[in-house]
Amino acid sequence: MALTTPRTTQNPPLAAVVGKTPPRQHRPNARSRNKVILNVALALGSLTMVIPFIWMIFTSVESPAELAQFPPTFFPQEWHWSNYSEALDAAPFDVYFRNSFIIATGHTLITLVLGSMAGYSLARIRFRGREIVFISLVAMLMIPTYTKIVPQFLIVKFMPLFGGNDILGQGGTGWLNTWWALLIPGGLSATSIFLFRQFYLSLPKELEEAARLDGLSEFRIFAQIYTPLIKPAIATVGLLTFQESWNNFLWPLLVTTSDELRVIQVGLAVFQQLDNTSWHYLMAGTTLATVPMVLLFVFAQKYFIQGFTNAGIK
Amino acid sequence: MMIRNSPTRVRVGAISAVAALALGLSACGSESDSSAATTSDPDEVTGDITLLTPIFEGTEGQKLLEDELLPQFYEEYPNVSVSVDYTTYGNLNEKLTTAAVSGAVPDVMLMGVGWIEGFADRGLIADLSELGLTEEKLLESYTPAIVDAGTWNDGVYAVPIMLDTRFGVARMDLLEEAGYDSPPQNWDELVEMSKALTVRDSDGTLERAGFDMLSLDSRQAFETMLFSAGGDLFNEDDTAPTFNEDPGVDALQLMSDLINVHEVEEIGFSSPDAAVNPLLNGRAAMGIAHNNLWTQGLEAAPEVLDDLEPFVIQGEGEGMFFGGTLATRSATSQSPEAAQAFLEFLASPGPALAANEQRGNVPALSELLDSEYVQSNGFVQFAMENLDVAKREGGPAEWLEVRGDFAPAVEATLLDQMSAEDSLNDLAGLVQTAIDR
Repeated sequence: MALTTPRTTQNPPLAAVVGKTPPRQHRPNARSRNKVILNVALALGSLTMVIPFIWMIFTSVESPAELAQFPPTFFPQEWHWSNYSEALDAAPFDVYFRNSFIIATGHTLITLVLGSMAGYSLARIRFRGREIVFISLVAMLMIPTYTKIVPQFLIVKFMPLFGGNDILGQGGTGWLNTWWALLIPGGLSATSIFLFRQFYLSLPKELEEAARLDGLSEFRIFAQIYTPLIKPAIATVGLLTFQESWNNFLWPLLVTTSDELRVIQVGLAVFQQLDNTSWHYLMAGTTLATVPMVLLFVFAQKYFIQGFTNAGIK
Repeated sequence: MMIRNSPTRVRVGAISAVAALALGLSACGSESDSSAATTSDPDEVTGDITLLTPIFEGTEGQKLLEDELLPQFYEEYPNVSVSVDYTTYGNLNEKLTTAAVSGAVPDVMLMGVGWIEGFADRGLIADLSELGLTEEKLLESYTPAIVDAGTWNDGVYAVPIMLDTRFGVARMDLLEEAGYDSPPQNWDELVEMSKALTVRDSDGTLERAGFDMLSLDSRQAFETMLFSAGGDLFNEDDTAPTFNEDPGVDALQLMSDLINVHEVEEIGFSSPDAAVNPLLNGRAAMGIAHNNLWTQGLEAAPEVLDDLEPFVIQGEGEGMFFGGTLATRSATSQSPEAAQAFLEFLASPGPALAANEQRGNVPALSELLDSEYVQSNGFVQFAMENLDVAKREGGPAEWLEVRGDFAPAVEATLLDQMSAEDSLNDLAGLVQTAIDR
């Protein structure tokens, strides 16, 4: 392509050689044409991403009669905002929102603190068996969630000295129906440790050497030198963890029996019965359930995008 | 739940009155009952029991259970307390599995038709006849097929609360436009009418399906057609599959022909997750539907309810399918009498009627046919009037293990990838292996 032709002293522009006025309009025109093509492509991509979201919002204010029409309407003919209040009345969503928020925040904090420490140690501290530990972590990424449910449930149920259990984990309910069961088993994931490790690996070793010469302890090197440099990683892992926790449904349903400990996704399931789905209420509830995630992304998007770029996550 | 707004509240009030009356009646009736739970002095029945339920979910369901039904139960059994664990049908199996492996089995569990055999076979649920709920007694109130859904190896392991049914539904306004004055009476008429009622535009794009089979789970669609062909899923003693015999092959072949030869519907035209059933907006003239289509119609298109006519899909047999929710008692319950008393309470006329109305389902108790709710819901009434010909899924203890294999086999034939015979024979092989294991 003409734009990429190398311009060196040995290779002067063609216009200069032939003694004609160079076509000065050529490069800016091509550049703006490429820019337009790029923007159109990006706009189409964005539209593809946004349309389901807009459809969700429009569906959330439509009546069942309008939803039944064919061909389906995109813009609501009438805006039934009451769908929101009626959906919120269908289950104790205030409690569910609170619980989801506590669990997602708890998981995020545990992940950021312990995950970053684990990632740092795997990336920057040499110790015997480090590779095996790392390979084991990578192997854990391959285990399907469903296969872990029963063993995790048994661990929670037979947790010694909790919920009336004796030292051998017998006689009581362990962590079942408690915040422990909701917060601890999903608190830290192999994915987050892996991501943190990759970020810590990308930082220069010289920083560590300089810090050691200055007499900093290992923990201070971790906390004061390296960790402040991986804010994109913290935002990325934090958002991913929060999102995963916020959307968790099966585990909270299995380990709790009380409505006081149930989460937002359990509430949304009320609208999906075996042979009938109340789409307008489901979409209203889902719209509300996505608000915290959207807000979080808005506030952390700068670091989040940096983090994705650095980690090469798609 | 606010879904149905104020009319439901009025109905709930009415249900409460009916429930109170029914409780009185059942209490009177129970004097002659042999049930241990009902012959015991209710004051002597004690215990803290747990209930695991996939119904009564949401605010409306919880209100019904906790504010109306449980107080009635406590009035009769003051020394029993019930804590409720609400779940969904979609995750009931996981709840039950984890409860079973950890030994923390709820005292009373509500589960589906076809589930009982597996849990009874593993010894997780108790034989209710040990405390007096015998098969003979149940047959006084339920049709034999419904009682059969709760029995296993001559024991009674579950008592039905509500049923879900599938049958044919026709849009009579569309049929009349095409010159038909009644739904099809046999398969030949079904094919002929479906073809005549199918509408395509000038480009050949399907605008209206003559007969919709894709808006419900393909396993249940096949089962309905299998029963219509006079077939059964398993042999008498549930030791071998029979769905791959001639009636099953004929049924699946008919489904495939309707799509691939007669082109009365196309794959992708509708699905169980569709926002609306095509019968409601006129995109289908006939189809197999769940009884709650009536409730959906009340919300979305009340003007078409008069045009919806249910029919049993008539072939060599009668095509009507039923599933449902049954109450069971844990075999390891520390308070078996309390658990059984509560189970019997939930299945008694008042609570069962209220639970059915809350979900728009079909009461299993024959005596509820005359109730106001049943008489006001055309599909529920039709279902109850025809329960004697309805058949259920399930049979062997391995049913839960193999039922997921049905949909891919049926869909392979509907997609014209395999012949009906080959699909069903392959499936039968898998099922037989599971049974023999």
